This record gives sequence, C-alpha cells and structure tokens, in this order.
Amino acid sequence: MRDVIVIGAGGGGPVVAKELAAKGLDVLVLEAGPRHAKPRDEWTTFENDANNPLSGYFRLGPTDRSKPAWYREWPQNSFVWQLSGVGGTTQHFYGNYPRAYPGVFKGYDGADRNEYDVNHRFPFTYKEMVPYFEWVEALMPVQTAAMGHKEQLFFKGAETMGLPVQTTKTTLRASYRPQENAILQPQGTAGKTSDKNLLNFPQAKGCTFCGYCFQGCMRPKGAPRNQFAKRSTDNSYVPMALTAEVWATGGRPAELIADAYVTQVHSEKRNGVLTATGVTWRDNVTGDEHREDAKVVVMAGGCTENPRLWFNSGLPNPNDWVGRGYTDHFFDWMIGSFDDYTGNPKGVGSSARLDYPPYGGLENVGLPPALSAFSASLSDSGIRGQYKNGRGATGPWDGPAGRVAGPELKELLSGGIDKLLTVLVITDDDVEAQNRVTLSALPADENGPIPKVTFKQRQRTKRTLKNREFMARKAAELLRGAGAKKVYRIDWAPLILHVQSSMRMGESENNSVLDARGESRAVKRLFIADNSALPNGLGGPNPTLTSQALATRTAEKIFQTYFGGDPWVLKEAPVVSTDPRISVRLGQLGL
Amino acid sequence: MPTAVPLARRAFLARIGILGAALGGGGLLTRSLLNPADAATNPLLPPTVDLLRPVLAALARDTMNGLTVFCQPGPDAYSRTQGTVSKTPGAMESGATNFIIESLDNFVPFPDALAQPIGAAMVTGLADTGIVLPGLELLPPQLRQLDKALAALLQSDEALPLSLPIAMLLNLMATQVNPLAVNGPHLSPFARLTYAEKASAFELIEKTDADLVALLDVQFPEPLKESVSGLLKFVGGALIEFGTFGAYSEYAVFDPKTRKLKGRPVSWQLSGYQPDGPVEGWDDFIGYYQGRTEVHD
Repeated sequence: MRDVIVIGAGGGGPVVAKELAAKGLDVLVLEAGPRHAKPRDEWTTFENDANNPLSGYFRLGPTDRSKPAWYREWPQNSFVWQLSGVGGTTQHFYGNYPRAYPGVFKGYDGADRNEYDVNHRFPFTYKEMVPYFEWVEALMPVQTAAMGHKEQLFFKGAETMGLPVQTTKTTLRASYRPQENAILQPQGTAGKTSDKNLLNFPQAKGCTFCGYCFQGCMRPKGAPRNQFAKRSTDNSYVPMALTAEVWATGGRPAELIADAYVTQVHSEKRNGVLTATGVTWRDNVTGDEHREDAKVVVMAGGCTENPRLWFNSGLPNPNDWVGRGYTDHFFDWMIGSFDDYTGNPKGVGSSARLDYPPYGGLENVGLPPALSAFSASLSDSGIRGQYKNGRGATGPWDGPAGRVAGPELKELLSGGIDKLLTVLVITDDDVEAQNRVTLSALPADENGPIPKVTFKQRQRTKRTLKNREFMARKAAELLRGAGAKKVYRIDWAPLILHVQSSMRMGESENNSVLDARGESRAVKRLFIADNSALPNGLGGPNPTLTSQALATRTAEKIFQTYFGGDPWVLKEAPVVSTDPRISVRLGQLGL
Repeated sequence: MPTAVPLARRAFLARIGILGAALGGGGLLTRSLLNPADAATNPLLPPTVDLLRPVLAALARDTMNGLTVFCQPGPDAYSRTQGTVSKTPGAMESGATNFIIESLDNFVPFPDALAQPIGAAMVTGLADTGIVLPGLELLPPQLRQLDKALAALLQSDEALPLSLPIAMLLNLMATQVNPLAVNGPHLSPFARLTYAEKASAFELIEKTDADLVALLDVQFPEPLKESVSGLLKFVGGALIEFGTFGAYSEYAVFDPKTRKLKGRPVSWQLSGYQPDGPVEGWDDFIGYYQGRTEVHD
C-alpha cells in the first residue's frame, strides 16, 4: 500500500510527487510513455525525428518507436498535440510562466469584472493563489526573459500600440513585456557565441539560444539534468522528486516507473462513500498488468487522458461534466514577412508577450522550417487564393485568411526563415460544455476504449469568437508596427496546445468535477492535479505556472486531509530546483 | 460468357484510378494478362492478384506524388502538370512521397476495422453519380477479371496499406472536379489536375458532411457513421498539413542509425536555416528589454 500514486509525469503530476516526497510520503509515479533518461543518446535537434506525431521521440506512444503511436479520434480538422513521456508536454514547451489574470478568480472586482468567463471562475481568490504562484516562481526559478532579435522586433511593434510595459508579476491591464519564463537566463558564453567548443557547461550556463525548445532541452552540453536551461518537469520537478532525501529534511525519494499505462482507477464504497483504492497499469513492453493500492490517487494524465481513464474505470459522472468544458485558447496564427533579419529560429521559442485582459494575449513564436510550414498549413479557411471553406476573413492582414500553401508557402520560406516573425494569437475562451472528451466508437487500443476530442470551433460563444477577432487584429497591428511588409492570417483549425479545464474545479457542483480542494466530488481520495483541474482558460496566459501552483495547493490539501500534516507554503521557502545537492544525487543515480 | 460489368462500376474503377493504372494508355498491365482463359487455368488464386498488387502500389505512389508537389512544388514533371513548376528543389527532392506513404502504411495507427471497410468501399463502390467519363472502351471480360482480383485481394488477410484508400479518395475527388482526369499523363487522376483543381478537390473533402460518405456508398455500423464523416474531414486537412511538414523536414537525409544528416535538407537550402548545420547555441542574446532583469508586484 502506497501513500500516494500519481498517474502521469507531465506538467502537473511531478509537482504533487515532489511536494509530498519532501514530506516523507511513499509516492509512486506512473508514466505511460518513455523515461528519456539519456537525452544526448535519444534526442537530436531535427524536427521530424523529434516532432513527428506518429514516429518522433516526442509523440503520444510507448518508448519503442517501431510500435505505433496511440491513436486518438478528432472528428474535425484539428491537431491535439499530446505527448507521452516524463515531462509530458513541458518537454516541448517554451517555459512561459505568466500568471493567470486576476479577473478569472472569485471575488475579482475590477471595472471589467463582467467581461470574463463569469460563470466558471476559480472557486477561491487571486490573493489566495499568490503564495502558490510565488512558491513555483522561486522553485523553478521563473525569471525575466533575455532578449534576442525576434523579441526586439516584437517590442518594436508593441511600442507602436500605445500600451504600457508590464513591470509586475500580476497582469493588471493591457500591456506588453518580456516573458517571465522558467528558463535559466544566459550566463558566461551562453547566448554570446555560436562556437560549440565554447558552449560546454560550466563555461556556458543557462540558455545558449540554440532554438531547439520544441525538440527538447539538453543544454548547455555537460550540465547536470537539473541545470539544463529549460525547466520542463523532466529537468526540474522530477529530479527533485527522485532525490527528495538529499534536499528535504525527512524527505523520501519518489519512485518513478515509465512505460506504465494506467488503465483503471479502482474504487470501493467505504461507509457508504465511494473511495479510490488504487490503480492497475499495463507495462507497454511486456503487456503485463500490475495492480497497486494507495491511500490517495492523483490523476495527472492530461486533459484528454484523464476523462478517458475516468470513463474506462467506470467512475460515476453524476452531473455529466467529466470531459466537458475543455478550453484551448482558440489559437490563431499570424505570420509577418520582413525585409530585414528577424532572428526567427534562434533563442527560446518565445520570450515576448502582450497581455490584453479580458480578450486574451499575443506572443512571438520562433520555429524551424518544417514546423513553420506545418503552422502555415493548418487552417479552417481553405487555401489562400483557392478556396475559403466558408470563411476566409479579411481585415488588417493581407488578403483573406487561410493556408499559405504550395507555391506561396515555398516563396515565403525561400525569402528566408530568419525574415519571418510569427505571432500566436491567444484567445480568452469560455468554458463550453460542447467542447469535450468522450469515448470513441472506434476500436479500442491495448489500453482500452480511446478518447474522442470534439471542438466545435465555429459554434463557440459570442465572447470567445469576438475575443479571437480582437486579438487577431491586434496581432496584425503589432506586426505592421514592427515593419512587416506582408501579414498573413492563417485562421488555424483547432491546434490544441494549451489545454485546460476538462475535469474542472468549480464552485458549483452542477458544472464541475472537482471541489475547491482539487478532490473529485464523486470519488473521495481521488484528486486531479494537472491542467484539466483548472477551472477555466485563465484569461489566456499559458497555463503551466497556474497549473503547478494549483497542484502545489492540492498537494497541501492532500497532506492536510489524509495524512494529518500542516500546510507549508506560507511558512517555508522552497528549495530551488537547480540545487547542487540534487545534481550530485542525480549523478549517483546515473541520471 | 460472363455478364457485362455495369457501366457505373466501370466508371468507378476509372475514377479511383485503378482502371487507368492497370489498363489505360501507359497502364501497367497488358490486356492479355487479363485474358479470361489464363485465369481459368489457375482456379485457386487468380493470378491477377499478384499482378495487381504492384499496380495498386504504383497508383498510390503516383497519387501521392500529385499530393506532395501540391504541398511543395519543384522542378519535376508532376509540378509541371500541376502548372507550378519551379527551379528550386521541391517534394520529389525532399522525399515527401516516401514520407507520406511510409507514414500512412506503417505508422498511422488507423484501426483496421475502419480501414478495411473504407478500402473495400473504395474498391467495390459503384458511385453512379451520372458523370460521363471518356475513354472507357475496356472490354467487359477484362474488367470483370480486374474486379475479381480486387475482390480476392480485399478478402485476403493482407492488411490494406492505408495509402491506397487515401489515394483512391483523392482520385475520386479529382474526377469529381475534372472528369477528364481519368486519362492523361501520369498514372493517377489526381496527379493530372492543375493546382487549382487539386485545391478544389480538397475543398470538396473539407466541406464534407454526409455527402462524401454517401458517395462512398459504404455501410458503416451506426455509431461509426458519424466518426467516418469527421474522420474524412480530419484526413483532408491532415494530408495537406502532414504532407507539408514532411516536405519541409529533414526526413530524406536523416540517417536513423547515426542520428545524423547525410546531406542538407531541401527546406534548409530553401530557407537558409542553420547554414552550418546543427548548433549548440547562437550569439543572438542582445540584453534585457529596458535593462530590466526582474519584476515584482
């Protein structure tokens, strides 16, 4: 009998594992995908090798890449970018750690209070969340991002928009700023040279501006795993969880098993109350099934897999909200082409942003060629100049929205990958019951019936649709201000990268799966601690910081409720994840 | 005497490309190979099946050539037919056709339970949509032989490579857009289209609801019916998006054994990405915006 079993080692699960391992609990973490313990032996810098969703090392599938990826049903033109493996989607993220907007929390009384997703607010206040934000920010650590040429250009555009620069952690108004990111900023030779002989740790520390965030961070070369620049959980929380005995008094290292696909959460009635008792997982390699019991089970498999596991476990769904209310920031994509150098594929993927509560936000994104081409090709508006698929909006961009494809795409990229600046349009989108995960009618895979992810992008709420149009226009304004000679709007089909709220926490038991403590309403001792637990889309900010802050709070609730412990966030200061004691212990463990 | 195969059936085989690939001008089978007398001497296994397999693979490849040059045109004959020939390397040089076929046939974990009925529907469908097609002078006995071979192939335990039904879908749409595409250069109707016509074919796939599923004339069990319609929409988008990703990736020059490149990828040549190859870092750090290195509430 374990104290706690955590399902999933992505962005959220390792937070709970690390916090409770530090308190001396016996924690088992089960990850469905690969361990990726030796990135220099397993990873490259190449887009197809890394990011091919069918066969890349960053895909949704088992470690063995000769085996097929796990198929998921998407009944629309869309792309749900799930990753298995230790680190989950933080393996390919850009480490952006903005805080959720205050307007999405209970008790917010700003002048624009009625303009947010008012029916799906956090069930507690922003003020209550701040210590958890601060805890994660100190632990990662989260810092103000260094600037490269693409950021400089983004700021040049933002400076023309009559908005102030944000110099606080909390976003109070429409404003722009460098990202606050979970990237170790460049020190020594990092960022100052392209000579690989000069870029070994510790001569180079922090971000070397390699531009390979999306292919996984394993730089500077020679650094201990917990001192790689990007603070994906495989570089931060997971190393901490596995070494808790060396940096936490009374800490006990968590156990991590990869290639362990959880297929069932077990429950039984205790004193008339349905209670989680353990899990069954399947070994991807041998196919063997294992069962283990625990005092508390924490689901952290992500917004798509948590509902699937819930349904496949036969757990109750009394208000029918399991899997519903999936938010994705209803992204769009704008490409500016320039006469001058933009530095597009260099440095952290995105180090500049513009926040625009209560509409959403913008951020710059640098990409290598295949991902640039893919991003220009994913559209709900047909192909520019050919067909519009019933849409093809016009506005302050050039021509109709739609795919830049074929000859036009080739011409655009042949103008130089470093003559482009791309902007991600982030929408403050509403929680909607129709956007959801159900079980698919297609055949099951080896782990049971598969999930189906439905997004009705053309029927979203008026507010969501309006916000997206507003932010797309702002993106065009920014690119023009930066000097773009041509601006393209792609009108992305749903590209599900920021995922939130499919197992949402909420004040009302009528439209939420979790109570305000992160415990499921229907099954006691069953908690959810990843993005799916978020009550809403946060107003648009990238979700990882808020998700990890909430998971930290949930870990405290678990410790208080079921292990008789005291909360710690208000009393203690966190150990920083780069701590050399962790590095030394990782070395001893061969990690 | 065998009974004549109905005209609609003949038209359908032409539209998905099989008829032309097997027997059209420049087709891969000679008509004598489909001589009914030969078949009668091998009652256990129609010899045409073995003959047909490479024909179908060639048809799929030709169709995918038509797709990948749509994603990334180059100096090749397919781009020329499409009307977008360009001097710089394109999909044929970036190995995009191999990429898409390998992905579809080996890596798309598309359930057989769905692939088989779609494939079967594609190959056996009638789809009498009233479109008049030119050049269907094939003799009924030969056509019947072709049909028997197709049926035998579908009834065998062999998994149908997914690239085949996808290719047939594209060809069916191609002939919807331009009926004349049943004949011409290349092996497949889709590859014979102009760029604008290919775009129109994708427009038809993308706006699909019930129409295309009805056109396929296939009976899926009820819970699957809605899935098939959604899936076709997904497939329509994915072919463009994934084909483009492959064409602009390092696929053709990547050596999986050494995990190194054997040459410079086409897209790197085109876009100037990483002139000296992969790096450990760049000298692109300018400083901090307005000199600010930290913020506080």
